[in-house]
Amino acid sequence: MKTRNYLSAISILLFSSLFASCSDEGDTQKPVIDLDEPEEGAVLHIGSPVHFEMDLSDNEAIASYKVNIHNNFDGHSHSRASETEATVPFTFDKSYTEDIAGKKNTHVHHHDIVIPANATPGKYHFMVYCTDEAGNEVFVVRNIELSKEGGEDGHDHDDHDEHHHD
Amino acid sequence: MRIGFFSGMLVGWCLIPALHAQEPDSLKAVSLSEVVVTESYQHLKNKNSTWRMEVVGKDFLREHFTGNLIQTLETLPGVHSMDIGSGFSKPMIRGMGFNRISVVENGIKQEGQQWGADHGLELDAFNAGQVSIRKGPASLLYGSDAMGGAIELAPLPLPADNRIFGEVNLLGKSVNGTLGGSLMLGIKKDAWYTWARYSEQHFGDYCIPTDTVVYLTQRLPVYHRKLKNTAGFERDISWTAGFRKERYVSSYSVSNVFQKTGFFPGAHGIPDVSRLQDDGDSRNIELPYSQVNHLKVSTRQSLLFDQSALTWDLGFQRNHREEWSLFHTHYNTQPVPEKDPDKELAFMLNTYSSAVKLKLFGSAVWQHTVGWDVQSQQNTIAGYSFLLPAYRRFTTGAFWMTTYRPKSTLSFSGGIRYDYGKIKVSAYTDPYLQIYLREQGYDDEFIRKYEWRSYPVSRHFGDYSASLGLVWSPPGGHLLQVNAGHSFRLPGANELASNGVHHGTFRHEQGDATLASERGWQLDVSYTYGKGALSVSVSPFASWFSNYIFLRPTGEWSILPHAGQIYRYTGAEALFAGGEVAFGIDFLRHFNYRVSGEYVYTYNCDEHIPLSFSPPASLRNTLMWRYKEFSVYGEVQHIAAQHRVARNEDTTPGSQLFNAGATANLRIGGVCAEVTLSAQNLSGAKYFNHLSFYRKVEIPEPGRNFQILIKVPFKKLLK
Repeated sequence: MKTRNYLSAISILLFSSLFASCSDEGDTQKPVIDLDEPEEGAVLHIGSPVHFEMDLSDNEAIASYKVNIHNNFDGHSHSRASETEATVPFTFDKSYTEDIAGKKNTHVHHHDIVIPANATPGKYHFMVYCTDEAGNEVFVVRNIELSKEGGEDGHDHDDHDEHHHD
Repeated sequence: MRIGFFSGMLVGWCLIPALHAQEPDSLKAVSLSEVVVTESYQHLKNKNSTWRMEVVGKDFLREHFTGNLIQTLETLPGVHSMDIGSGFSKPMIRGMGFNRISVVENGIKQEGQQWGADHGLELDAFNAGQVSIRKGPASLLYGSDAMGGAIELAPLPLPADNRIFGEVNLLGKSVNGTLGGSLMLGIKKDAWYTWARYSEQHFGDYCIPTDTVVYLTQRLPVYHRKLKNTAGFERDISWTAGFRKERYVSSYSVSNVFQKTGFFPGAHGIPDVSRLQDDGDSRNIELPYSQVNHLKVSTRQSLLFDQSALTWDLGFQRNHREEWSLFHTHYNTQPVPEKDPDKELAFMLNTYSSAVKLKLFGSAVWQHTVGWDVQSQQNTIAGYSFLLPAYRRFTTGAFWMTTYRPKSTLSFSGGIRYDYGKIKVSAYTDPYLQIYLREQGYDDEFIRKYEWRSYPVSRHFGDYSASLGLVWSPPGGHLLQVNAGHSFRLPGANELASNGVHHGTFRHEQGDATLASERGWQLDVSYTYGKGALSVSVSPFASWFSNYIFLRPTGEWSILPHAGQIYRYTGAEALFAGGEVAFGIDFLRHFNYRVSGEYVYTYNCDEHIPLSFSPPASLRNTLMWRYKEFSVYGEVQHIAAQHRVARNEDTTPGSQLFNAGATANLRIGGVCAEVTLSAQNLSGAKYFNHLSFYRKVEIPEPGRNFQILIKVPFKKLLK
């Protein structure tokens, strides 16, 4: 009996010391993307810059965001890479850190994304990823369409101040 | 059921010396499963092991049969199942899974793609006659990949006399329309025996108690409450033969397991409503799907002497896994492959293994076991996508274990093992990625650096594992086991060299060729008390890892299309602690009540956050009535919410489940039919499994399920 009491005392001591030294103080809270533009189902005009506007926030510090646009032509997976037209499926992939890194809240508004005139019209996915300094990540997906006719010209909110350039 | 479980545990203690020594005589060990509860204390008193172990026999396996062995074992405290839909699962013990758990059948470690999140264990659930679960480090016995525990499978016990024997099993499940069956036929004649088994299971899309799943703020429909394209099937065949002549025992077995299961298309790539339309068929398997074929050939040769036993296990395995998905690429220049255009990923892993063990039991006070293992692996790849490179891996290890038993109630065991491993990873460059990067406007230097999906890597590792423990079994029904040890694990090929986006995880997972091996200290204590109608067990554990390998979000954006940041395998100081408690009591002659609970605490000491895949605490209350050939049970299972999550892992709410079951042995004419009825999730609760592959797409676990299992054993004595 004595041996057992002794051993259980050791294990209790060991356990409590382990727990005492460990508190979940690391950041596991994801940043938040509040994407204003483009909206879900937006039709974007080929040959024009894209009006891109969002608010980012995090409990500690935003690190970076990335915009990715890729086609969703077959509505299923991604391209079957069989198109041999004069147009080229549009791809955009760029990350941004300047002016936002380290902030808790920031407003992003730019017209940095330009859809070239030879972009293939059709359905696309518009994705925005955001990370905080601890590596917590969030992303949003918008279904958009690129079109030669109509659509937004990217300048329908000219009254906004541009908080961010790149 | 609970009685079965507990008696299984008691039988386990009796079996431990044999298993501990790698069953130099498997026939003898297996026949021990016939030992009944009343005798076990007697065995308990004399024979023991410092390792915490649970052994379940055919009663437990029958009452908890699901057609999926790991889901059956999940009812044991400390064991969890990481599920991929309703059909396939892989084991987790005390919060450790993937490459840290070894599954051993016929003395051979099962080698598949256990590193993968959507990998299921390739085993025939009908074939398991007895299962031993070693919670805590088993590296000493099975090498570095067993640092989190081991699951050992033994076949059905052989009949003692000369006869023809066999059984027919039929399985039906309502939740996914499972229809399954298994036929076994064997003969034992004097020194010879052989048996063969054929099993097949077909299941449809499984029902979930919801009409929509929300994924990435998009609400996706679930038509007819069935999760589209989660149907699958399994076809297994196995054959075993052997003979025993005086001091020589020899056995041979060949088995092939084929599994195919569809993936929910909403969990594959970006969710799109158009892919989820009901196709009117709940049993078809469309793209995307995964299929795997596992072939295993093994033999065991044993020589038994009066004071020693020598065993040699030799095995070959071929694990061929393929994932199929409609050809898609993010590179505009990548052509559709001419052959198998929709084969996304394929891995072919060949493993050769050998294990030699010598047990010396000349002295009743001091016994020794020495062993030497060798394993050689080769992995080749195919498919239009890339995740893990081709590699070759070689490992070998030697150990010595000893037990000193100064008196019948006390024994000390210790052991030391040294493992050496080397791995050679093939290089892989991606020409389409190169073109893609050029199109994206990256400069040449950048492209030269990133077009390599895999660098040629050659690493070798060597380290020791050691353990020391004691067993004290004073009179009065007490049993105390303490084991402390140091173990290490060689990094897997995925941890060293993977580099790609896996559709299942959506993450760019990247290996690190410079990783050091995983190292930790583990302490396990187990106290059990069993006397008369009462049984109590408490099994705490704590492990400290100076280097624990996990997938860490780096904050670096991946240059691969359709990927967020890079997740890189990284070492960190980590802590695991927790334990299991169980209490059982027999009352009113035919009733048994049992409550068991478990908890695992994980902590990443470098980042001050929990580790991913921490199983939630849970509690199981079971009331059982057993009379002659009948039993009925009802069960309430509480699963706590898991709020302790790693970065980019979602918290999971808690739940409460009701299960019930009944068994009856019916005699109709000269035939005995063992009928088992069971029902899971009776209230149809919508709940989530924190460890499920589908958890991150917010897909709840299967709804209410009714199940029937009928087993008809038959035998005919030979003259």
